[in-house]
Amino acid sequence: MREVAVLGIGQSMFGKFPERGAASLGAEAASAALKDAGVKPRDIQVAYTSRWINVGTTCQKILKEVGVTFIEMINVENACAGGATAVRGLWKDIAFGLYDLGIAIGVESINSTSMAGQVIAPDEDLEGELGLTYPGMFALIARRQMAECGATREDFARISVKNHHHGCLNPMAQYQREFTVEEVLNSRMISDPITLLQCCPQTDGAAAVVLCSMDVARKHTTNPVKIIGSALKSGDYAYKQKEIWISPLGAETVKMAYEMAGVGPKDIDLVELHDAFAPEEILRYEDLGLCQHGEGVELLRSGATELGGRIPVNPSGGLLSLGHPLSASGVRVVAEIALHLRGHAGKRQVEGARVGLAHMLGGSVAGLEAGACGIHILAR
Amino acid sequence: MKERVPFQKGLFKEDQGGRLLGNKCSLCGRVYFPKARLCRECGHDELSEIELSRQGTLYTYTIGRMPASHFKPPCFVGYVDLPEGVRVFAPLEIKDGNPLQVGQSMELVISELWEREDKEIIGYKFKPV
Repeated sequence: MREVAVLGIGQSMFGKFPERGAASLGAEAASAALKDAGVKPRDIQVAYTSRWINVGTTCQKILKEVGVTFIEMINVENACAGGATAVRGLWKDIAFGLYDLGIAIGVESINSTSMAGQVIAPDEDLEGELGLTYPGMFALIARRQMAECGATREDFARISVKNHHHGCLNPMAQYQREFTVEEVLNSRMISDPITLLQCCPQTDGAAAVVLCSMDVARKHTTNPVKIIGSALKSGDYAYKQKEIWISPLGAETVKMAYEMAGVGPKDIDLVELHDAFAPEEILRYEDLGLCQHGEGVELLRSGATELGGRIPVNPSGGLLSLGHPLSASGVRVVAEIALHLRGHAGKRQVEGARVGLAHMLGGSVAGLEAGACGIHILAR
Repeated sequence: MKERVPFQKGLFKEDQGGRLLGNKCSLCGRVYFPKARLCRECGHDELSEIELSRQGTLYTYTIGRMPASHFKPPCFVGYVDLPEGVRVFAPLEIKDGNPLQVGQSMELVISELWEREDKEIIGYKFKPV
């Protein structure tokens, strides 16, 4: 197995663009990543694209806009973990020597569809049919966090306040605005205890990364950012999960990634994770081993996960503030970690970052804990 | 009277006050709802249908304030743990306007969930005992 470098990263504007399609957003991210990598369209040997809504040869539709055609192209879907799945696919192709250089793209155009303004619910699914929605799913977990771990509504609001503060430092964020705990709590109730400002917005956008072998990377840079751990796992049967606020899927996936990378939670300098709904971030602290089960609330209250803290989480603004173009987020988190490791993250830079973790979770399937979890660990 | 149609077949029956229909592995005894094709614990493929208990404990709940699938808000939904070791997601009813509480006893009801054209679509819900 070969080492794989992150040579180029790119992101489109994130926001509500009902007049723009996936091809336009994807091409904006892909061309930014090609330029950042310093490679030409004809250098791309393989391409992966992930999209959840209106799938259909999206990779080809995007890349013909930027001069990439007539190569192996793979379109993948894995709910919100789709982007992580695309990165993982490309990583495998390069790590195992099939190709030397390729691009992974994640894209979503939701506001151009009839899903705009709707709460998203699991489709073709027993629980979805009976009224489960995505905010509802995390509200059900949040209620157990309140019952078992002493989490309060204010704690959940504080996650949103933190990530919106980070988003104010990111010029690419969909919402660059500070909120107070009171404003978050007083925003419209969506699924008790989750209020509107604790929900990720509906976002159109795309992200892309160019990955390559170390031989190729060294021709472009003396100190490349590397992917040192990659893991992707599907959810196990839900009956095996005794408590819904303890995630075997997250714990097992991160264990695989840590083992491959040869690092542990104490070595991680920053984390980008799936904070689709504010209470979820506390759950993920525990999954990823940043603290013990049940201690996520304490970790949050300590300020450790804020910029300037011991282990900043979602310095980009996260899904809550930067926005969540579903399939794009799994690629975007990898790009964000790479940016910090290069030291180019501007006002939100995590100082001296050497090792970072990019997490993404996706999908609700009745009878399973979740659809999939994808984790990449990057280092420089 | 409108025709009553279950929202999905094979999940429940209406008599005896309503029962959820699961199945049980004849080898290891693990119980499933909805029914499993083969035992997910031991891989055994002989499972027999069982009627699940009508009462259980409210594990968690939420009140959705946005429309969800066939339902208009407020949408009370949650997980109820049954004594057979099964956790069931279901719409919930409240009683006399009292708030729901984690850990309270809940009871199965079979009732209309929504309407489709000229049909009454029935399914299962839980209500406080």
